[in-house]
Amino acid sequence: MEGFLGGLAVLVDPYVMLMVLLGTVLGIFVGALPGISGSTTIALMLPMTIAMGPVPAICFLGAIYCAANFGGSITAILVNAPGDPSASATALEGFKMAEKGQAGLALGMSAVASAIGGIFSVVVLIVAAPLLAQSAYSFGPPEYFALALFGLSMCAAIGGDSAVKNLIAAALGLLIATVGMDLTTGVERYAFGVMELSDGIGFVPVLIGLFAFGEMLDQAARRYGKPTIAFTDAARVPGWAEMRKCARSIWIGSGIGTFIGALPALGATTAALIGYNETRRWSKHKHEFGHGSIEGVAGPEAANNAAVGGSMVPTLALGIPGSATTAIILAGLIVQGVRPGPHLFNEQPTLLYAVFASMLAANLFYLAMGLYMARFFARISLIPSAFLWPAVFVLCVVGAYGPNQSMGDVYVMLAAGVVGFLFRRAGFSPAPLIMGLVLGGMVEETLKQSLIIFGDDLSGFLGRPIALLLFAVTAAGLLWPVASRLLRFARAARA
Amino acid sequence: MKASAAPSRSSNANRISATLVALVAAAAFGGTFLFDPVPPGLPGLGAVEFPRLICITILGLAVLLFLQEPGQPDPDNVAPDRGALAIWACCALFLPAMALAGMLGASALFMVVAGWLWGERRPILLAGVAAAFTLCLWLVFVRVFRLTLPGGLIFGG
Repeated sequence: MEGFLGGLAVLVDPYVMLMVLLGTVLGIFVGALPGISGSTTIALMLPMTIAMGPVPAICFLGAIYCAANFGGSITAILVNAPGDPSASATALEGFKMAEKGQAGLALGMSAVASAIGGIFSVVVLIVAAPLLAQSAYSFGPPEYFALALFGLSMCAAIGGDSAVKNLIAAALGLLIATVGMDLTTGVERYAFGVMELSDGIGFVPVLIGLFAFGEMLDQAARRYGKPTIAFTDAARVPGWAEMRKCARSIWIGSGIGTFIGALPALGATTAALIGYNETRRWSKHKHEFGHGSIEGVAGPEAANNAAVGGSMVPTLALGIPGSATTAIILAGLIVQGVRPGPHLFNEQPTLLYAVFASMLAANLFYLAMGLYMARFFARISLIPSAFLWPAVFVLCVVGAYGPNQSMGDVYVMLAAGVVGFLFRRAGFSPAPLIMGLVLGGMVEETLKQSLIIFGDDLSGFLGRPIALLLFAVTAAGLLWPVASRLLRFARAARA
Repeated sequence: MKASAAPSRSSNANRISATLVALVAAAAFGGTFLFDPVPPGLPGLGAVEFPRLICITILGLAVLLFLQEPGQPDPDNVAPDRGALAIWACCALFLPAMALAGMLGASALFMVVAGWLWGERRPILLAGVAAAFTLCLWLVFVRVFRLTLPGGLIFGG
């Protein structure tokens, strides 16, 4: 409690509060822009946060993450174009409600359910993260190695075409992380005599290239027509009857979102889709789904915002990203010289609790803005692509150049952008590559440390029950789809 | 031949992706032989084992991808038209333009040309937006963050 009050005290600093407010406005703004997701924006903003100092920087990025998920619902409801992938489930019922003349109610319910889901998950974060960190104190390199492998294996379910493609992307991320000097042997790897590569490939240019420049190249090939706002209704605060009707959906969404978010690699989009399905399954008004159900807006909105706090639990407590976006935030923390993990709770409690407090504040900010400024934010989707995407490219170049003032980083960004574009075209998701890149150092370091502890004998892992359990869960998760297919074949052959 | 027996476009795409991935992994594996030798006497894994392990994993996964049944092709994956190629060329020319006009000059120029290629046909609006955006860049990066953006031969040098 003392730590949390300390965090609140940090938040009273007008500069930090301004960053949270700016992050919230920017988050809603980009969330409402179809094509630019929260993760793209956080990647683009990362270079600007380097000059801010750790607390305002992480509060700013956290606020963008919280608000972008909500912002996506505005255009999902009014334009049927989810601004953020996590709002795709909201569009299913939200746009139908707008067609029925209930756009204002849908926007109001979206804002309220998002805020409840978001606040619920931050409360879980405040309680669960220190407990998880405390239990992780007994973890040694073997357990961290097993945990990082588990996190990478979860990439299989992150999105994209297939689990195999996701695992390939994650492994490529691990491979990129090996570029540069190996710290235990002093040997340069894949540097080819290029000075800039000796220190390894920086997170910032790769993140900007994969997410922002890659998306820009893809958008150039598509060049959609100008969107039009179908319905511009002012948001309406839901009444008591509507809140009672949606209470179950909101709690189901909040619970599912927090749980899914806390699993490594899975983020808000998965949470929203599962939240939508479960809301429909448990609803007393199933017949309304598909025709503009208000519960179908409340459930996924609570879920995708609850996933934000949930995904910060493993990120901060263990240093294992809970989603693609938190992988970028984790990279931001590392760039700031902060290494997340259990020791952070002892070493920098103020930073952590300031992050928690800022996420609570961001949820309250976007609730207010969502209720009173939704119509204004909906107009954001009218910004012509002809201005937006060239500006994104320029920001990519300046953002990649900025932190180290190095043209080498600009070249890395451009190369990563081309890879990101090819990934999108071939049905690969760039998110697992980022997970691999962020976790690469940890995987190699902990494997090497484990082998030193075990005297180069891999069977040493057998004496570490937590590591064994994590290996078993990883293997089960990876092999289950294959095993279930074999079982189906066997059953079909018998029949 | 039955239609179903012919490999679909998507399955070919999977196979092309798998082959490219396998080539990258093979090249990376080959690259480990160019690393300097590890100083003798160091315990644990050396510098080459971990990258090689990853390369072998990627090769295995590439084989799985090659054999995998294809998913549905993405209907949004339209072939790039001449306009898209021109925008990509603009991006490629940004760095040479920077050498001439500096980062800020190239940014303004890029905003106008790429915006035009994207379909905006109001030159005054394009120029106005490009100028305003470049001014914002200068304010944020040069004035606030005190960054020195690269200059060019004819502007900002």
